[in-house]
Amino acid sequence: MSNQNAAGNVISESTIAICGNPNCGKTTIFNAITGLNQRVGNYPGVTVEKVSGTFSVDSTNKHSFTLVDIPGTYSLSAFSPDEDIAVSALIGSLKDAKSPDGIICVLDATNLERSFAFLLQVIEIGRPIVVAVNMVDLVERRGLKINFEKMSQSLGGIPVVPVIGNRRVGIEELKKAAADLPNRKPITVGTNYGPEAEKLFERLVNESNNGHRNRAEYLRVIFDANSPAEERFLLEEPDLMEVLREGQSRIKEVHGSLSLTETAVLSEKAATLFQEIVTIVRPPKTRNSERIDRVLLHPVFGPIILLLTMIIVFQSIFSWSEPLMNLIDSSFSWLASQVEAVMSPGPLQSLLTDGIIGGVGSVLIFLPQIVILFLFIAILEDSGYMTRAAFLVDRLFRWCGLSGKSFIPLLSSFACSIPGILATRTIEDRKLRYITIMVAPLMTCSARLPIYAIMIAAFIPHKTYLGILNLQGIVLSSLYLLGIVVAVIVSFILKKVIFKTERGTFLMELPSYKIPTVHSVSIRVLNRAKSFLLRAGTVILAITIIIWALSYFPHDGKITHQFASQAETARFELKESTQIYSSRLDNFYESAPVDVRSAVDDIRESFSVGNNIEDFTLIRSQMNEQHNELYGPIEALYEIQRQELATETALTELKNLEAGAYLRNSLLARIGKTLEPAFKPLGWDWKITMAILAAFPAREVAIATIGTIYNLGTETDEESLSLIDKMRQARWDDGPRQGEFVFTPAVALSIMVFFALCLQCGATVVTIRKETSSWWYAWGTFTYMTVLAYVAALGVYQLLERFIY
Amino acid sequence: MTYLNMMVPGQSGRVVGFSDDSKMVRRLYELGIQPGRSIIYLRNAPFRDPLEVQVGYNLITLRKSEASLIAIEVDE
Repeated sequence: MSNQNAAGNVISESTIAICGNPNCGKTTIFNAITGLNQRVGNYPGVTVEKVSGTFSVDSTNKHSFTLVDIPGTYSLSAFSPDEDIAVSALIGSLKDAKSPDGIICVLDATNLERSFAFLLQVIEIGRPIVVAVNMVDLVERRGLKINFEKMSQSLGGIPVVPVIGNRRVGIEELKKAAADLPNRKPITVGTNYGPEAEKLFERLVNESNNGHRNRAEYLRVIFDANSPAEERFLLEEPDLMEVLREGQSRIKEVHGSLSLTETAVLSEKAATLFQEIVTIVRPPKTRNSERIDRVLLHPVFGPIILLLTMIIVFQSIFSWSEPLMNLIDSSFSWLASQVEAVMSPGPLQSLLTDGIIGGVGSVLIFLPQIVILFLFIAILEDSGYMTRAAFLVDRLFRWCGLSGKSFIPLLSSFACSIPGILATRTIEDRKLRYITIMVAPLMTCSARLPIYAIMIAAFIPHKTYLGILNLQGIVLSSLYLLGIVVAVIVSFILKKVIFKTERGTFLMELPSYKIPTVHSVSIRVLNRAKSFLLRAGTVILAITIIIWALSYFPHDGKITHQFASQAETARFELKESTQIYSSRLDNFYESAPVDVRSAVDDIRESFSVGNNIEDFTLIRSQMNEQHNELYGPIEALYEIQRQELATETALTELKNLEAGAYLRNSLLARIGKTLEPAFKPLGWDWKITMAILAAFPAREVAIATIGTIYNLGTETDEESLSLIDKMRQARWDDGPRQGEFVFTPAVALSIMVFFALCLQCGATVVTIRKETSSWWYAWGTFTYMTVLAYVAALGVYQLLERFIY
Repeated sequence: MTYLNMMVPGQSGRVVGFSDDSKMVRRLYELGIQPGRSIIYLRNAPFRDPLEVQVGYNLITLRKSEASLIAIEVDE
C-alpha cells in the first residue's frame, strides 16, 4: 500500500503484527517501538479494541510501518470471543481487515517451552516472521543459557533478536529486522500433525472454493470443533461439512481427542526445540513471585492489603488532584476574563466565554483525576497485582453472580465504563460476561465526579464527626457504595432470573511480579488522557455549543430596549437628586478660605476609599469628629456617595434581571419549563432538568450546562463569583416556591443519586450494543438504570424533604 | 491416585491425566498442566477457592471445579 503525504513524497506502508503469549512483555516492546505514535481504534465490524502505532527506521520517514498490537493469547485455538478476534486478525481471516505483511512473535525467555508451542502455530500462518526473545536478562536467574544462533537455525533461518523490553535493549535491532520483513520470504518448518490430520487438510484445500486461506486457517477449522472459526468456514463452504466431520471423527478415533492431538504434537516439538536450544546451567532459585504471593495472597493479610490498596487509590484521586484542579480552574477563569476584555459584548463574546471556555473548562478540570486513576490502574496491572486481586475476590464475586474475572472490568469502570466493558472480553462464559457488562456502568466513573464534587462542595455541610469522619467524605463514599450495592443486587437478580449461569472458569496464569517501567506506564496514561481530551474537544464541545445556543437565542431586542431605558432613567434620577448637593458644595467651596478648602479636599479624599454603605457611614462619623465645623459639606458628600452607590446596585440588579429575562425567554427555558413537571417531584427546577437531560449523551455535559446557564443568568460585576456561589444564590423564579433557594441538600442529593444510577453516556450504550451484538442488552441496561435512577432520586428527595429539611 | 481438588496446600504430585476432553483441558495443557509434569499445590484464596498451583516455573490459578478434572499421583 502506498499513499501520498502532505509534502508529496510517496510513502510505502506495510502492516506488521506483534503477537505473543500473555505476560510475555509484548506491550512493553510495542510501546518501545511506537512510543506515542499510537492510536486506539476498532477492528472493522467489531468493537474489539485495536491498538496500532507507526514507526520508521530511517530519519526521512520514507518507509513508515504500521504495527498492530495483537492481544496476548496462549495459542491460536481461541478460548474466548476476544481471543477469536485477536487470532483472526493475526491469521488474516478477519473480514475486511488487511492481513499483516509480517509478524513479530515475542517469546518469553523465562518461559521458552510454552512460547515455542505458540511460535510453531504462528509459523503455519505462512508470513515472514521475526522472533523477539524478551526478558533475556532474567534467564541467568533461572539458571538457563540460550543459544540464539541455534534457535534461528532450528527455526529454518527465522531472524532471532534478544530483547530486554523494559530497558529498551535490542529495540533498534528488532525495528530493523521488522522493517526488513516485507522483503523476506516466509519460512515453513511445517509441523506434521499425523497422517489423519494431514489428509484432512489436503482434502479441504483441494475441495474448497477459496484458494486464499493459509494453513493456519485450515488447522483452526480442523482442530477447533464448534468454534467460530469452524462456523465461518462452514458458512463459506457448506459442501465440505461432511468431509470435515468425517475427518475430525477419524482423528478422534485414532488419537482419542481432537483438540489435544494438536496440542500434544506442538508440546512435544516445543520440548525438543527447548532441549536443543537451552542449556540448564543449574536448578532455578525459588521464585520471587511465589515468595511475594505468600504475603499478598495470605488468607488474612491478602484481603487487608487489597482493601488498603483500594483506599489509597481513591484517597489519592481526590487529594492529589486538588491543587492541579484549582490551577486549571483559575487558568480558565483568567482566559475568560482576557477574552471578555478584548472583545465587545455580543453573541460571539458570549459563545466564547460562557459557552466554550466555560463549558470545556468545566470538563477539563477533571483531567488530573482521570490521569491519577489510570496511573494507578496501569501500575497495578503492569506489576502483576491485578490478577492477584481477581484471585482474592473470585469466591466473593461468585456469590454475587459474578466472577473474579469481573474484578478488573469493574475496577476499570471506576475510571470509565467503556474500557471496563471492553475488558470483559477475558470472561469466557457468555452469560457471566453479559451480567458484568450490564452492571459495569453502575460503577462510579470519573465523569460522575464533576457533579459529585461540585454538589458536595456547595451543599453538603463541612462537618466532622468523631474527629475523623467528614460528612462530605461520607456522602461521596456512600455514592460510590450505592453503585456497588445496586450492582450486586442487579447481578444477583440477573443471575437467578434471566441468565441462570452455569459454572464459569477461572483458569489463568498469575504473571510474575514486575516493577512497572516509567515509560510503559506513562504511555498508557498519556494515551488515555489523549482520548479524554479528544472527547472533551468533540462531543462535549459540540453539546456545549448547542446548549449555549439554546440558552442564548432568541436574544430578543425588546428586552434590550426595555432594560436600556430603565437604566437610562436610573442614571438620570441619580443626576437630578445629587444636583442639589453638588451645587451647595460647590458654592461653599468657592467662598471658603484656603485652609477650609484643603480640609474639604481631605474629606473628599477619605470618602473616595469607601466601597459600601457601612464604609461611608463610618467615614461620615470619623469626619464629623475631626471637622465638626464642616457638618454641611460632610453631609453633602455623604449623600452623593450614598446615592451613587444605590444607583450602581440598582444597575447591577437591572443587568441581572436582564440576563435572567433573556434566559427565561430562551429556547432552553421553554423546553425546560415544559418538562419541569415531570422532574419537580425530584426537587429540580427547569435549569437542573435541562442540565441533566442535556447530559444524557455524555455526563460531563451536565456541569458544562450548569456553568453556561448560570454564567448567562448572572452577569454580576463580580466576575470572580464562582459557579458554586452562583448556584447557592439561585432561586425559583416562579411557582409556589418563588424566591426560595433552588438548591437544598435534599435537591443536591437527589441529583447525585440520579447520576449515580443513570446511564447517561451514549458511548457506553453503543459499546454495549457492539460488545453483545444486540440492542436488546444496550437498551435493557439503559432502561433499567434510568428507571432506577428516577425512582431512587424521587425517594431520596421526598424522604429528606419531608423528614429532615 | 487422586484429583487436584482433593489435595491440601503444600502437597505436590505428578499430573496423570484428565477426566474430561474439552476446551478447558486444552487450555490446561497450554498452560503447562500436562501428563507427567510435577505440580505443587501452593495455596487457596480466601473462602478456600480458587487455588494457586505451580507447574514448572509457572504460577497458575484455577477453581476447585476445574481442579477436579486433573488426576494426580501425590508425592510421598
